[in-house]
Amino acid sequence: MSTTTITDTEVPAVTSRGTTRPLAVAYAGLDLKRQLRDKVGMFFTVALPAFLFFVFGMGDDEAYGSANVAMYVMVSMAAYGAVTATTTVAGVAATEQTMGWGRQVSLTPLPSLAFVAIKTAVAMLVAAVPIALIYAIGAATGSSGNAFDWLASAGIVWLGSVLFAVYGLAMCLIFKGENAAGIASGLIVIMSFLGNVFTPMDGIILEIGRFTPLYGYAGLARYPISEGYLPNDAGHDSVWLLLANVCSWTVIFAALAVWGLRRRRERV
Amino acid sequence: MTTPAIKAIGLTKRFRGQGGEIVTAVDGIDLTIGSGEIVAFLGPNGAGKTTTVDMFLGLTSPTSGEVEVYGETPHSAVVDGRVSAVMQTGGLLPDFTVRETIRAIAALHGRPERVDVVVERAGLGPLANRLVKACSGGEQQRLKFALALVPDPDLVILDEPTTGMDVSARQQFWDTMRADAADGRTIVFATHYLAEADAFAERTVLMARARIMADGPTAEVRAAYGGHTVTFRPPADVMGAQGIDQAWLDEVRKAVAPLGINDLEVASASLEAAFLALTGTPLIDSEATGAPTDAEESLL
Repeated sequence: MSTTTITDTEVPAVTSRGTTRPLAVAYAGLDLKRQLRDKVGMFFTVALPAFLFFVFGMGDDEAYGSANVAMYVMVSMAAYGAVTATTTVAGVAATEQTMGWGRQVSLTPLPSLAFVAIKTAVAMLVAAVPIALIYAIGAATGSSGNAFDWLASAGIVWLGSVLFAVYGLAMCLIFKGENAAGIASGLIVIMSFLGNVFTPMDGIILEIGRFTPLYGYAGLARYPISEGYLPNDAGHDSVWLLLANVCSWTVIFAALAVWGLRRRRERV
Repeated sequence: MTTPAIKAIGLTKRFRGQGGEIVTAVDGIDLTIGSGEIVAFLGPNGAGKTTTVDMFLGLTSPTSGEVEVYGETPHSAVVDGRVSAVMQTGGLLPDFTVRETIRAIAALHGRPERVDVVVERAGLGPLANRLVKACSGGEQQRLKFALALVPDPDLVILDEPTTGMDVSARQQFWDTMRADAADGRTIVFATHYLAEADAFAERTVLMARARIMADGPTAEVRAAYGGHTVTFRPPADVMGAQGIDQAWLDEVRKAVAPLGINDLEVASASLEAAFLALTGTPLIDSEATGAPTDAEESLL
């Protein structure tokens, strides 16, 4: 009897090393399926931005920069959806760690860096869902712009949403409990208003909004279309101002995440 | 076969407590556990059992001292799938199903073929498609046990494995463990239930206040530290709602004093014993160990 156990255990020692990648993919697949099954989460990531797109400017053919208003609103809503997705996935990942799932995973041969890579990949794939859907709706309902507008804006929306994965992580490391991810994505709604994502702003609120986290990201995503000119002649943003906003918030969120992680470790 | 499953020398763990003071959780433990042994880590909460287990698994590194698992570092032993554990602090994802949870961990171990074996072994077949959040505490504990079996480890470490299980689930769990032990797996489990150590472990390591207080065959540890308990049932007419009639007890004390008995302890039957009596589920190996279940934790 005992000999069978011993020969059994020789197997993983040989196979685990060479096949880490496809196995990580299998794990990511299961994790992705789990995220997409979360109805409340998917409502805020996909259904809400699609609905807002419908309300705020779907099919509006008034010219705007190199595209039309419908396209401008489409990019904004895709950005909102993508950001909600990465915030939620990263936030949930942080909560998982504090709930002890991380300890289960640490009893497997998977290196911790590979786990971060899996989570990032899942977050990016979930973020691609609202972008693809809203761009598809846009294409079907008269959003128009040149090929560069479409590709560049989608690329910036998608890649830039990583910033909010850091944000989600930071929030959930700082605020304990299962509600942290919900709070983090709820704040995204407020920051979207301030960040000029939902309705065009002007005056003092716009001045304040320029310093909020979604402003730079959304502005950059729409830059291929608008070249920085704001709707309703509210003003103009240079690409440097937008980049400075994104860089500053990246540093702030990363610092908060590191601080949260340290605080959490000390408590254990 | 000659390499011990666990070899710890002077294992010590200190960390900073909340008030900034240095807390010694584990204080210079020397321990060797041979391949195929079944060892209980017995001790009250806060004795340092979990910290010790964490060091065996490479989840915490010792402040000083050394630990080897099958002659390698705990981390390498984990990577090679030679050691696995049911951790008290390990968590599950509530929105995975039972089967998905096992598939996810099996994927990370590179052992997808183990999923069905492990589902069967932990008796999770009927629950396989249930969401984890819909499972009871005992069922979740069984799932954690299934996860521990995924790499088919030579050594399984169980930290308070029966937490959240009712009496019959606890018994079922130990039956499964017994079958596993018969297959030659080394089993180390931490518990604060004396009965579990008594019924299941050949060897008991008694831990208290960060140190090993006793280490030897379970029966000897029990004899040396637990003594023996004589239990008898008083006649019905001296038992009232307030407990046993005090005058009668004084008479008993007087009667046994000439026999050299000067300590009389009164304990009512434990809830566990009452439960078993009412549900008719037999006690865990009670005749084999002869251990009374009443007031058994009092020695700790």
